[in-house]
Amino acid sequence: MEDYFSYTAKLFNPDEASQKPEALKGIRVLDFSHVIFGPIAARLLADYGAEVIKLELPFYGDLWRPATYWGKYWKHSNPIWHNITKNKYFLSVNLQLKQSKELIYKMAEEADVVIENFAPGTADAWGIGYEKISQINPKIVFLSCSTYGQFGPMRYFPGWDLLAQGASGVLTLNGYPDTDVYYKLPDYVGDFVPGNFGALAILMALYHRKKTGKGQYIDMAQTEGLMRLLYHYTYHSVTKEAIGRTGNTDPTMMPASIFKTADDKFLALACATAEQFKNFAGAIGKAEWATDPRFASTLERLKPENAKALTAMAVDWIKSQSCADIVKLADEKGFPAAEVADDYSIAYDEWRRKRGSVVLFKDDVYGNLVIAGPSAQLSGTPSRTKWLARPLGYHNRLVLKKFLGLSEEEILDLEKKKVIGTFDDRPGLKPPVYYNLSEDPIYNYGKEVGK
Amino acid sequence: MSPKEEIYTRHAAKGSDRGKILAEMMNAEGKPEVLDDILVLDVSSANFAGIICASFLAEFGAEVIKIEPADGDPARQITPFGVTVQGVGIPFMFEGRNKRYMTLDIKNNSEDRKNFAKLAKKAAVVIESFAPGEMDGWGIGYRQLSADNPGLVYIALSAYGQYTDKAKESANMPDADITSQAGSGLPAQMGGTPNEPEPNNWPLRGGMWAGWYVSGLSAALGGTVALIHRQNTGQGQMVDVAGMDAYSSMVGMPATIGYTWEKARPRIGVLDFILYPYGHWKCKDGFVAIAAPRDHDFRALLKILGLWEQEDDWRYSSDRIPDILEQALHLHKIIEEKTLQFTSDELVKMALNYSKRSARSKWRGGGVPIVMKLMTPEEAMENKQWKIRKAFQEVEDEKLGKYTISANFVKMSESPPRVKWVSSEIGKDNEYISKKYLND
Repeated sequence: MEDYFSYTAKLFNPDEASQKPEALKGIRVLDFSHVIFGPIAARLLADYGAEVIKLELPFYGDLWRPATYWGKYWKHSNPIWHNITKNKYFLSVNLQLKQSKELIYKMAEEADVVIENFAPGTADAWGIGYEKISQINPKIVFLSCSTYGQFGPMRYFPGWDLLAQGASGVLTLNGYPDTDVYYKLPDYVGDFVPGNFGALAILMALYHRKKTGKGQYIDMAQTEGLMRLLYHYTYHSVTKEAIGRTGNTDPTMMPASIFKTADDKFLALACATAEQFKNFAGAIGKAEWATDPRFASTLERLKPENAKALTAMAVDWIKSQSCADIVKLADEKGFPAAEVADDYSIAYDEWRRKRGSVVLFKDDVYGNLVIAGPSAQLSGTPSRTKWLARPLGYHNRLVLKKFLGLSEEEILDLEKKKVIGTFDDRPGLKPPVYYNLSEDPIYNYGKEVGK
Repeated sequence: MSPKEEIYTRHAAKGSDRGKILAEMMNAEGKPEVLDDILVLDVSSANFAGIICASFLAEFGAEVIKIEPADGDPARQITPFGVTVQGVGIPFMFEGRNKRYMTLDIKNNSEDRKNFAKLAKKAAVVIESFAPGEMDGWGIGYRQLSADNPGLVYIALSAYGQYTDKAKESANMPDADITSQAGSGLPAQMGGTPNEPEPNNWPLRGGMWAGWYVSGLSAALGGTVALIHRQNTGQGQMVDVAGMDAYSSMVGMPATIGYTWEKARPRIGVLDFILYPYGHWKCKDGFVAIAAPRDHDFRALLKILGLWEQEDDWRYSSDRIPDILEQALHLHKIIEEKTLQFTSDELVKMALNYSKRSARSKWRGGGVPIVMKLMTPEEAMENKQWKIRKAFQEVEDEKLGKYTISANFVKMSESPPRVKWVSSEIGKDNEYISKKYLND
């Protein structure tokens, strides 16, 4: 029989991914959302082949377009926004005009999914909410994203990822015990996780629609998404106590902490089971730990007094070893250990590039950029990156001509009446200065362009 | 709309019962279940990412069979401080949603492997977390099962994935939450600033299972994409989730920042690296979270805190970006001096009153400074919002008694997820499963 890893190497070969079928081909999504939560749900659908048309206001655009880390732009674009909005069609329409709404209603006739994340009630007030769209197209799957949900006394409270972390209890769990310093989870987890939940709900609704022909309305509250991740509520209901903050130690395994090694690196090491603990104890020449009555059984080992003693012993051993040596031992003997990765190692680790969880992507407009791959690799219908984010209104012509059948004259008229528009001079909205848009065949879709 | 309702947006529906109508629309009772035609076999071992993935599918209506040896999945003992109810750990109870329990020892017993293969012939989804290649070596991996069942969606969870040289080299390494967090770079972004004393300036672990839940959610999402492809074409496939990169891929920022900035971000304590103010501050009676990052939100915050004299120095978001840490911490202290003078309730009221007026006025530029009392999970359980939305559910296990879980994580009008029962008993459904699936 062929070696397993040579079999899987062929099964998942990243070089062939772009030729494989797309699971969501033919699904059209109208993305009215902004910032991260809604756009991520839409992007996940685009990654698997859906046509996602992102709607933005002319000369203003998505609030997140200019929001880059420490104000650092890359080729006049926001580097992290590429990850949030890749693979989408960028249409810029002035929602205040009646004619713009007619365009949206016409697109809604053929659409499968709508995503919005305005404050609850706003989309309805503007006439682009579920009420209106489902009249036009009863089979629509409509996702509304918000911080606290579309009903309940807090529905009109505004929110961000931070507020969802604060309202669910997530934020108060990060930090050291007996201090009054908390940290929020980084990188807007409170948007990305609920965005993934939103996409999951849409996929379920599409699966249901295929069986029954029925569309539906989805109400995704980001706080409830985060609450689904906490067994802390059950712990409290059973013990009447709180888990609270436990610093760098995971109280569900032992040992399980972030340690400092002899070469001043940070290493996470864990033993979730009796077997893993035996492997660990044997690997470091302390086989007797595995038969010590305090440590032999998993539940005994987790008891706070035993856990404290064991952690102290683990700290002593780990600070005498180099990080690489410990990870090598863990690979050989079978217990979990990993150096704490950072932005740079994630961008440059060879195995991530080979796996496709980090991708050096060559884009027609922006050139090379390293972006994250999918968090799950599919062998048959893989997620893929086709293009990065685009300047505001970049696909106006393509969308209106290809999807709505408008002529160049009609588009010129819409431009004149300011129904559609593009970017102004702000970074994040405009193309790179070196890039000649007048020669871009997609920006000028259906027009002759001189090269 | 009740006359008392507080409205902080100028676009709220006036005089309608939108809230009530929606609450009624989202009632799950009697509604169909999306995955009622899907059989899922969860043979994951000592890995909550697999258990969590199985839970999501079960909540959407799949028949999920948790398969474990007679002494139980070691995951049953992965529990805070070793706390169990009759030997069952808290996280296992929390995730014991709508599942069937069957005992098979596929690791050691070849007869049990045959029964597993027989079940897998009828299954739509298999979830496993053994060392990559191990199931294959036993003759029940994706390669063998898909030969008999080409529509099978096979979800494999591991530390480094199922392919690449690295996956092969580290196949022995089990996946755990804290190593998944570390491999994905989460702790690198959390913790005190470099000048704080050790260990406060170390990378800090997220205080919940950020690695395992993100892996489980990724697996469920990938698995559902695969189920849609199966629905359209009859074709199955393999879904591969690696704990060491699931989180970094989901949030996506580390890779691009590492590449464009050519170094790693330092830890910046309680600050945010894009938005300011966007964090939490001490007040008279605890902490408040404050988000007022847009310029008009920030101006509103200065007004309600009586700090308008600061406006000139910090007017634009580019003035407030914490790229110069000292400067950002300076502003942090200015705000803290004010928040310390008020209780959390007072601060929340001040912000909401402003926002309400702002929503009604076209002159206030829509500034919405958001202030909220920081809640622990235990406090969150008491919030009326979640009672009305049924976000927490009291459940009763036949053997373990009553307890509370967070449920109904998304509301859907036609085919919502729901928790029908909880159970954790080893081998509870052996007979039911044999009769239903193994009798031919």
